[in-house]
Formats: sequence, structure tokens, C-alpha cells
Amino acid sequence: MRGINKAFPGVRALDNVSFDCRAGEVHVICGENGAGKSTLIKVLGGIYAPDAGTVLIDGNPVRFGHPLEAREAGVGIIHQELSLLPNRTVAENLFLGREPTRYGLLDRAAMRRGARALLARLASPIDPDLPCGRLSIHEMQTVEIARALGLAARILVLDEPTAALDAAESERLLALVRRLRADGVALVYISHRMAEVMAVADRVTVLKDGRNVGTAPRAALSVPDIVRMMVGREVSEMYPAPLADASGEEVLRIERAGNGALSGIDLTVRAGEIVAVAGLEDSGKSLLTRAIFGDAPFTSGRVLLGGKPVVIDSPRRAAASGIGFLSEDRKGEGLALRQSVRDNALLTLRAFAPSLADAFAGALSARRADAVLRSADVRTAAYGGPVELLSGGNQQKTIIARWLTRAPRLLLFAEPTRGIDVAAKAGVYRAMRDYVAGGRAILMASSDLPEVIGVADRIVVMRAGRIAGELPAGVTEEQVMALAVGAALEEEPRAPA
Amino acid sequence: MRRLSVPSVPLALILGSLLAFSATAVATHSNDQLTWAGLGGLIERMVALGIVALGQTFVILARSIDLSVAQVISVAAVMASFVMQGRVEMIGPAIALVLAISVVVGLANGLLVARARINPFIATLGVGLCLQGVLSAAFTDFAGSVPRGFQVLAYGSAGGVPLPILLLLLLTTLCWLVLEHTRFGAHLYAVGGNAEGARQAGIHTGRVLIAAHAVCSVLAGLAGLYLAARLRSGAPWIGRDGVYDLQSIAVAVIGGTLLSGGRGGVWGSFAGALLFATLDAMFTMLAVDPFFQQVLRGVVVIAAVAAYSSRSRLLVA
Amino acid sequence: MLARRSFAPRQVHVSLLALLALYAAIAVVQPSYLEPASVMNFLRRAAPLVVLACGQLTVLLTGGFDLSMGSLVTLTVLGGSILIGNDPARTWWAIGVLYLIGLATGLVNGLVVSRLKVPSIIATLGTLLAARGGALLWSGGSPRGYLPENFRFFGRFMWRHVPVIEILPVAVPIAAALALLFAWLVHRTVFGKQLVAVGDNPRAALLAGVRVGAVRVTAFVISALAAVTGGILLGGFGGVSNDVGQGLELQAIAACVIGGTQLMGGGGTVLGAVAGALTLFALFTLLNLLGLPEPLRVAIQGAILIATMASGSLRRGAAAGRA
Repeated sequence: MRGINKAFPGVRALDNVSFDCRAGEVHVICGENGAGKSTLIKVLGGIYAPDAGTVLIDGNPVRFGHPLEAREAGVGIIHQELSLLPNRTVAENLFLGREPTRYGLLDRAAMRRGARALLARLASPIDPDLPCGRLSIHEMQTVEIARALGLAARILVLDEPTAALDAAESERLLALVRRLRADGVALVYISHRMAEVMAVADRVTVLKDGRNVGTAPRAALSVPDIVRMMVGREVSEMYPAPLADASGEEVLRIERAGNGALSGIDLTVRAGEIVAVAGLEDSGKSLLTRAIFGDAPFTSGRVLLGGKPVVIDSPRRAAASGIGFLSEDRKGEGLALRQSVRDNALLTLRAFAPSLADAFAGALSARRADAVLRSADVRTAAYGGPVELLSGGNQQKTIIARWLTRAPRLLLFAEPTRGIDVAAKAGVYRAMRDYVAGGRAILMASSDLPEVIGVADRIVVMRAGRIAGELPAGVTEEQVMALAVGAALEEEPRAPA
Repeated sequence: MRRLSVPSVPLALILGSLLAFSATAVATHSNDQLTWAGLGGLIERMVALGIVALGQTFVILARSIDLSVAQVISVAAVMASFVMQGRVEMIGPAIALVLAISVVVGLANGLLVARARINPFIATLGVGLCLQGVLSAAFTDFAGSVPRGFQVLAYGSAGGVPLPILLLLLLTTLCWLVLEHTRFGAHLYAVGGNAEGARQAGIHTGRVLIAAHAVCSVLAGLAGLYLAARLRSGAPWIGRDGVYDLQSIAVAVIGGTLLSGGRGGVWGSFAGALLFATLDAMFTMLAVDPFFQQVLRGVVVIAAVAAYSSRSRLLVA
Repeated sequence: MLARRSFAPRQVHVSLLALLALYAAIAVVQPSYLEPASVMNFLRRAAPLVVLACGQLTVLLTGGFDLSMGSLVTLTVLGGSILIGNDPARTWWAIGVLYLIGLATGLVNGLVVSRLKVPSIIATLGTLLAARGGALLWSGGSPRGYLPENFRFFGRFMWRHVPVIEILPVAVPIAAALALLFAWLVHRTVFGKQLVAVGDNPRAALLAGVRVGAVRVTAFVISALAAVTGGILLGGFGGVSNDVGQGLELQAIAACVIGGTQLMGGGGTVLGAVAGALTLFALFTLLNLLGLPEPLRVAIQGAILIATMASGSLRRGAAAGRA
């Protein structure tokens, strides 16, 4: 790709970016959100046409008018949002859009055979007759990769493939990437996770503000180098220091609680502390926050808030009892995207308008919203504009602001920085630390191990819907992982690093 | 979420319907209903609704909806009997004209939804209003008549089985074949299940959606032809009075087709139509006031859909 | 500083322009429509649709539809004539009962949608059937009797010899007051904000502590009460018939759409709904003056509905940078 330019109304998304990838190479692209990574891929995938510049494949200039043309030229893209159909089988998904037919009817036997062959190439034991909705995220990704290979892809783009994977699954994905590299596939790999960049890259390109800041072999770069190139400055003090004494009174106590997915949950959270819940993707850590918040409530056991037993069977009851909740799915469950930043910040306050007079008098003032938005450090030109225009970090802080209006004693926070770029993460962590400083507590569920270790005062590790153990601050990633995967750790063949 | 798997839904509905039908017949001493003829009569009640529901299933699977089917039925029935004017030699041209009109309406619906990106509810409603307006302006009463030769479609039989029943079974099988065993079918499920994913897989989602609407309108046109044969003439209100728009949607949903697209099938809709016919027959046997039947029908539609949806944790609007 | 929230997005201006253009066309065909009394009469006859559109808007904002409105209007008129039974003394009592029926219908709609999770298109089509069947069952299929003068007061009465405007039909200040009430409710109260938030993202609203079910039920109740009000106004116009409310639910939705309301929730204004209702009514008036038969007016309504939606979605498409 040579000298690619692409502008959108008001934004110059790509400014003269050149980029190349060779067969049998893993070329990692790093960059903050908005750096132009997705735009670059979309140009490569034929979703956008570049305003200027050329895309060359095998040295020949190509011009894609439609994603199909890119696919035919051998470009396969695995997007972050997986595109499989949950109600259709693996085989049906693998052959979607190019189903083999006999006498005008689908040749299901051929589809099944072809599916087995493709999956075998990836050494994957997935059953082609299973509906995709029953696969794990890693398995779905494998199916997507198999689909791209089935389309004779020679250039494979993986857009943050490990974002939704836990550590063990990420390892398996990286092994798959190495296998494809050995097969002679050209791999373009997008990631912010430094550990995996260092583990898998042959070369690294860093984008910033739509420009190529630099391309270099991995061996010539260190993690601090890359981070500096991405943010344009040193990121120091990412994690704020914890409070000296974090053993306040008990805010939350759960005793032998469970529901369909969780069992035997015993947990306490004290004022002033941030407790992290770590675990694999399906360990139940997200369900735990939902159970406490009454979205998928506990059906057995006891929950005590501030020492008093409570029954929380709906999110509203939870919010009324002094619990706040931030979902890992910010857009799907957090924000009313087309409404203003202010309206989003006032949502909970309005839901609990203290009296009928408040409910009818002037929709609660914009000044109040602005004050709380400022205190949560939400930065935007217009608090009156729609929240969907904000960056991920500012959107997250808008939801924090929403809960600040009620200041619940306990805040449940799932994946606090998922999809938020490196520089904005520090802001979210600071906001969390400030929050608990006032005698309140945060229970954070996170798949990001450096974050768990960097932020938490105490770490609770979950495995298969149960609490596997508890660790103090200052442990290593390996210690957390060992608990999260249980005894399986030693038996799991470790991929060569 | 749902304990019943999709294939078992049609079977359970069919058995339940037949059971309820028999029980009512016994309770009301309507012994004549429990003969083959009585059962045939029951199934004949579902033919028109069944055919429309097959088409509605196609568009719902593609995550669209068609509220113009009632008007297409009226147009088809009126045009058929108007063109035929009781003459046998006009049967061919009339059928051709009706099918042509249906295809055009279906394409219009599809283009509005897929190309102009109009909410399908509003687009098909608007098309339906246009059709109804033009039709009512041109015709105010039964127009023309269909010849005896055409009435065979509704009253004839082959090998002792009434033709309409064969017609419905044939169409259902054909639709099932298309959905399960052709590329178009596979693509339809893909477009309804995940339009963006389907597009990335190289499927022309717009074309699939337009084709689904065309299929739906053609089936509605066929239902209109059948009704013209059965009533011996077409009137501009028969589609609207039959509430085929709402009922066909309800029938498809009862049969296990998700309104959110991508899941379901035509045998479920077949079974759903049988359930509605059974209720009609039961109302008649129990001599329920016709206006009260309307009230009950409304309640049944809601109750039937609620039976599926109330266990879901999804929020609906 | 408090930035003034844009009360009237672009679509409202478009429909206001359309309204002016249509009314100008009416005046060309029939110059007497420029007289103040004619304007007032136009507004009087448009009043029921304005009220219905406002009610429908509250449901549309939550992302739903209320298709039972038209049947409820029929039920109001038929039920009114039966309850009053030619005895004007029973009018007030009857109106109370009618509002209770409306309240019950709205509660049923709302609870079926929020508790039984039936999509509102299906749920309210079900109540449409049930309410229409109920109205016919009640009247025995052939409505008899009439509505007394004191019931018809709201739709019919006018103050005469009013300065400047010559006449002032009582329906006009009623509709205007209700429109203002709705504007305040939707745009200036906490309830209105929750209405829009629920329509935009119900999950987010639920997890923020909003009583999503209660908001929805309230919206359906408001819509049903607006339908009863519309029915009472309409009762003053014509006779008692089985099809007095037929198709009004679609007209109300069309009015909102013309006024820029987004279907499936998330945005819309009362000013837009009112402007849309007046635009639609002006269109009907014009077509009537041109001598088009009633069925063709239905057809044109369909075409307008499609055209408005198409222009809106094509504009959005262009704005989103889609080719």
C-alpha cells in the first residue's frame, strides 16, 4: 500500500500512509484508537476506496470497488466483531456465500467434507455440524480464519483478535498465527497488547493520527519504544498508587450465594478498596457482577450491604440500595448513543428523581450535569452533543459520571478499559482510585491481567462459576493465571515463545 | 431460552390443534366434523392464510416484514375475476397478470426496504395503502366472476384429496426445499441472522431481501387467486377483512420464526395456520358471536406470541 | 452556559414548509380558505389528528407503535352513544367511563409489551382487533342512537364574533393546550427524558436504574388517553358509525414520521408531530378540494409516507458517508 490518503468530513483519517507485508511474515500494526488502523484495513479490504494512493498485491496495482473484489484478490479480514451466524452450523458458515450445489440444490455432504478439511489445516477439532452459537469465542475465530483460508486468502488481516480472549485462548491463537506464517500466509496483525506484539511480530508499524510514525523489525524495538511512538510521550504512572490503609468497614458481603451459572460464592468488599475479579472468559466473573446487580440475580445464599441482608432482584433495586454498575459492553448496555452527553450522565439521577416535583420541574438542570461531567473529567467541546461522538475513554467516564450523581457505596465495574486506548486508560484508573478514596468500594471484573495486578488492592480469581481463590496485591500474572486455569496449567503444552 | 427445539414446534402445534378440534367436536356433538370431510373442511380453512404465511415467513427470516399482503390479496382476487369475466379462455392471461402485478409489488417493497433503506413496516404499509386506495377507487364491489373451470382450484379434488389442500402442501414443500436446500435459502438465513456478516461473505444482501419480498408478494397473489376461486369473484375488501397481514405474521411467529430474523421455517408457519383454522372451526362449533370472535382472535394472537416471548430476557419495544 | 437544546431539528422545518406550501395551494384552489374563519375551521377539523399524533409520539419515542388508537376512537364514539343512550344528563359520567376504558386499554398494551415481551406491533394489532370487535359487539354491529349536544360540544362548539379570528372553535384551544402539555411532558420533564432514553437503548436505561417497564406502560396509557380524547373531539363532527376511527392510527404515525420522528425510538419532537399532523390534514383537504375520491386520498397518504421516509433515510445515508 503506497501513499494512502483517506479523509472523512472533518477528519483526515489516513495521511500518506505506506505499508507493506510479505508472504510468511507477521506484520503488527499498533496505534491508539483513532490512529487510522481500521481505516487502513478497510481500504485494504475494499470497504473504503482511498482518496489517493495505490494498493499493490504481488506488485500489481489493484483497485477494489467492493469487498468481494478484495476477497477475490486473496485478502481475508477477521474483524473484531465476529460475523458468524449463531443459528447456522459451522459448515454452513464456512461456505457462506459460496455454497457448493448439485443439480441446483445445496450439496451438504460436500460442505461437511470441505469444512473438515479446512479445520484440519488449522489442527482444530471443531465439529462442522455444530451451530456456531455454541462455540467459544476462540473457536468462532478459528472458524472465521478457516473461512478466509477457504477463500484462498494469502493476505490475512486480524483486527485485535485477542481483545475478547483470555490468556490461555490468546496463546492458542498466537500458535495458530505462527502456523499460518509457516504456511506462507502474509499476516497483518493489529493489537495494542505489547506482550503479544513482542511475542508474534516480525515487523512492527506504528500509526498515529493517520500517519505512519515508523516501521521496524521487532528485534530493533522495545516495548517502551513502541508505546512512546504510539502516544508520542512516555506513559509513566499508568496505575495510581493505592491508599495506604484499605481496610475500611465492610461494604458488601456475599455468603454461599449462587444461581444457574454461579455457585458457592463467598466474597467481601471493604470501603476504600478496589477488588478485582479475574478469570478466564467463561469463568463467571462478568456473571458475578450481574448477579450482584440483580440483572441475573442470585437464587440462593445471602447478600449483605453494609452489614444488612438485602434481596436484590432487579437493577433498579440494586441502584436504590447503593450499588452502581458499568457493563463491559459500553455501547450495547451503557449508553443511549443518540442522546446528549448530559442526558446520559443524568440518566440514573432522573430515574431516581426524589419527588414528583423534581420529576416534573425542568428535567433536572444542565448545570448539575456539567458539574458532574467535569468532576469525572469528561473532555469534549459540547456536553450537549450526542455521546456517540465521544472517544471510548470519555464515553466510559460519562458513565462513571452518571454513577457519581448517586455515589453508590459499591461500584461494579466490568472490563473498565476494554477498547480504550493506552493514554486514556490512565484517566479511567485515576477516576476509579478517586472514587474509592471517599470511603466507597469498587468490584472490578477484568480479563486484562496487567490491569488486574496494577489496579487492585485484592484479587479474587474465578474458575467455572466458583471462586478459585484470593490473592493479595503485588502477585505476578503467572500466579493469577495458575489459579484461573487450575491444575490444567502444568498439563497444558506451552507454545514456544 | 426456549425448551422446544425448532423441528418439534410444528409437530406439537399440529397435534395440539387436532386434539383441540376433536375435543370441541365431541363436546358439541358435531360428529360430522370428525369425518374425513370434516377434517378436510378444517384444513381448507387454513389454505389462504397458510399460503400468505409461507411468504411472510420468507420476509421475516430476512428480518423484514410485509404489511401489504392483505392488499395484494385483494388486488389479485379482484383482477383475476375482473379479467376472467366468467370466460375460461381468460384464465391464463388473468393468472399471468396477477403474478406480474405481485412480482412488481414485491420488487417495489424490496427496493424500498433494501435500496431506499426505509423501515419495512412503514414501506410495506405505504405500498399497501397505495394499492388499497387505487383498488377501492376503481372497484367498489365484487368485480366480474371466475369461470367454473377456475373454481376447481378451490372446490376440485384429486384422488379424493381436495385440491386446495394439495396446493398448500405442495407450496409448503416447495418453500421448505428452497429454504433448506438452495443457496438462496442459505443466504436468506444469513441476511436475517447477520446482514453485515452476510455482506462480508460476498452475499448481495439487497438482492436477497428484494427476492424475499418478491416471493412473499407472489404467494400473497396466489392466495388471492385461491380466494377468487373460492368466492367465485373478487372484492376490494377481502384481504383487509381477512386481516391477513397481522394473522400471517402471528402465524409465522407462532410457528417458531423469530421476528428478529435468521431462524425459523415454513413448516412452523404451516402448523401455525392450522392452529388458527382450528380456532375458527371451534368458534363456529361453539357458536361464538362473530364480533366476539374478533375479540378472541386478538387475544389469541397476543397470547400465542407471548407464549414464546415472555420467557425471553430480551427487551422488546 | 446552558446550550439551548435544538427543539426543532431539520425535518420539522421541512414539514412546516410543506404545510405552508400545501395551505397556499389550498388557497389557490379555494380562496375562501384564507379567511380567518376558514383557517379556524381547518384547525378545528385537524384537532383530533393533532391530539392523536401527540399521543402516538410518546409510544414511538420508546421505540414502539400503538396501532390500537383507531379502534379505540371507534370504541369511544360507539361506546359514548350507547352509554349516554339519548340522555344528555349521562354525558359526563359516560366520558369518565370512556377514559377508564382508555386507561385499561393502555395498561393492557403496555403490560403485554413490557411483561409478556410481545413486540408492540403485534400486541397493539391484537388490541386493535379486540377493541374493534368489542365496539361492534357492544353496538350489536349496527350503531344506533346519537351523541347529545353536550357531548358534541368539544368538537363542534365555536365562539362567534371573536375579534380578528371571527370564530374560535373550542377544539382549537383544547388541541393547542394539549400540544403544549405534551411538549412540556416530552421535552421538559424527567419522564420525557426517560421516554427517549428507553427508546434509544432500553438495556442501558434498565441498567441505569430506569423503570423501563413503567415508562413503557405510561407511554401506552398516555397514547390511549389521547385516543379517547381524539374520539371525543371526532364525535362532535359526524355521525356515529362503525368506521369513524379506521386508519387513524396510521395517520397519526404518518404525522409523526413527516414531523421527523425516528421509528424504533430515540428521537422526535412534539412540534414535529403537530406540524406533521397539520401537513397531512392540509394534504387531505387539498385532495378533497381537487375532487379526488376518498380511496385515492388513502393511496396518496401511502405515497407520502414512503416519500418522507425515503428522503429522510437517503439524507441520513448521505450524511453517514455511504455511497
